[in-house]
Amino acid sequence: MRNRLCSTVWLLGILAFICGCSANDAAKPASQVPDLSGIWLGKPVQSLSVSDPTAQKPGVEGDIPYTPWALAKMKTERPATGRDSTFENTTDPALKYADPDGYPRASIHPMRFKMVQTPEYVYQLWEYNKSWRQIALNKPHSEVPDISWFGESVGRWEGDTLVVDSVGFKDSTWLDPIGHPHSEDLHMIERIRRTDPETLVFDFTFDDPKAYTKPWNSQLTFKLKNDGIMTETIYTISDELSFRQRFLNEKPPIPIRRSN
Amino acid sequence: MKLKLLAAGVLLMAFPAFAHHGGTSLYDMSKQLTVDATVTDFLWTNPHVEIGLDAKDSKGKVKHWILEANSPPVMVNKGWNRKVLQPGDVIKVTFNPSARGGSVGRLIKLIKSDGKEL
Repeated sequence: MRNRLCSTVWLLGILAFICGCSANDAAKPASQVPDLSGIWLGKPVQSLSVSDPTAQKPGVEGDIPYTPWALAKMKTERPATGRDSTFENTTDPALKYADPDGYPRASIHPMRFKMVQTPEYVYQLWEYNKSWRQIALNKPHSEVPDISWFGESVGRWEGDTLVVDSVGFKDSTWLDPIGHPHSEDLHMIERIRRTDPETLVFDFTFDDPKAYTKPWNSQLTFKLKNDGIMTETIYTISDELSFRQRFLNEKPPIPIRRSN
Repeated sequence: MKLKLLAAGVLLMAFPAFAHHGGTSLYDMSKQLTVDATVTDFLWTNPHVEIGLDAKDSKGKVKHWILEANSPPVMVNKGWNRKVLQPGDVIKVTFNPSARGGSVGRLIKLIKSDGKEL
């Protein structure tokens, strides 16, 4: 009787140990994958053109292979930044309509984002407009991906790099503040890696035959912010109209919220 | 307090210290004004933080200005917060004035009465 009791206790102990290990493994990020987590802040750029980050020669950068459709679209846009910027009559959808930036423009905004890793997903959380995107790990794309502001992203680990494949982008967003266009057929590949403890690098490849005659590349670099601060900045149409009233003396065409 | 034109030929900076909602199309980037002023209001708001101030011109006439800084999270990165300025604070500010002659501007530099630069 005593031996049977001891055997039962021993067996329960083993089971509890196994269950405990499994639960812990599921809850924590897999330790064998790189750690991209943290709060990150990039340098301000106006263009994803590697040769022209300050947008001094949009349309003729030399490293962006426009199709005639994309070049014509670039020429009709009126960005609020760059060499020939115009704020009052801008066609920038993020200003004109207070639209979401979409991706990758969300990461170009001079604000922070947080990378959060779980075993099944990597999340990117932006301060600006409290927006976020999800990268599903080791999963295929949906059979018919939705068209969305931030696209549908799947990823996998390759050594020290998270490789992300994204489709399904809403074509009204600009890739960057200078207005590089894309179609709904945009297929974006990112290679994300921590090049040192303080630096996170995103290498982009944009493949969009309607907009570009061949795939082209860009890169964004971010530095770690250790202070833990993530603020709230939600930009509304009332904010835009209030700004225009105070700085441009434009009368709001609709009633606007007056509090900050 | 004396309105002082500091520079009238400064080239457009490729990477301005503050990126501004109004953009460079609203402001005369070739001019910088520096004024001693008194804060009248400080709005910690979107899209950009706003500073209202009164400053006397060279004839002693008080002129009211509204300056835009950057968005709150960008200003947090520079050490600002929503209480960093109060109405009545005496400051010295440098800014790009409006390109069309209005009394608005783009903040470049702000020094408080204790000599501390924000």
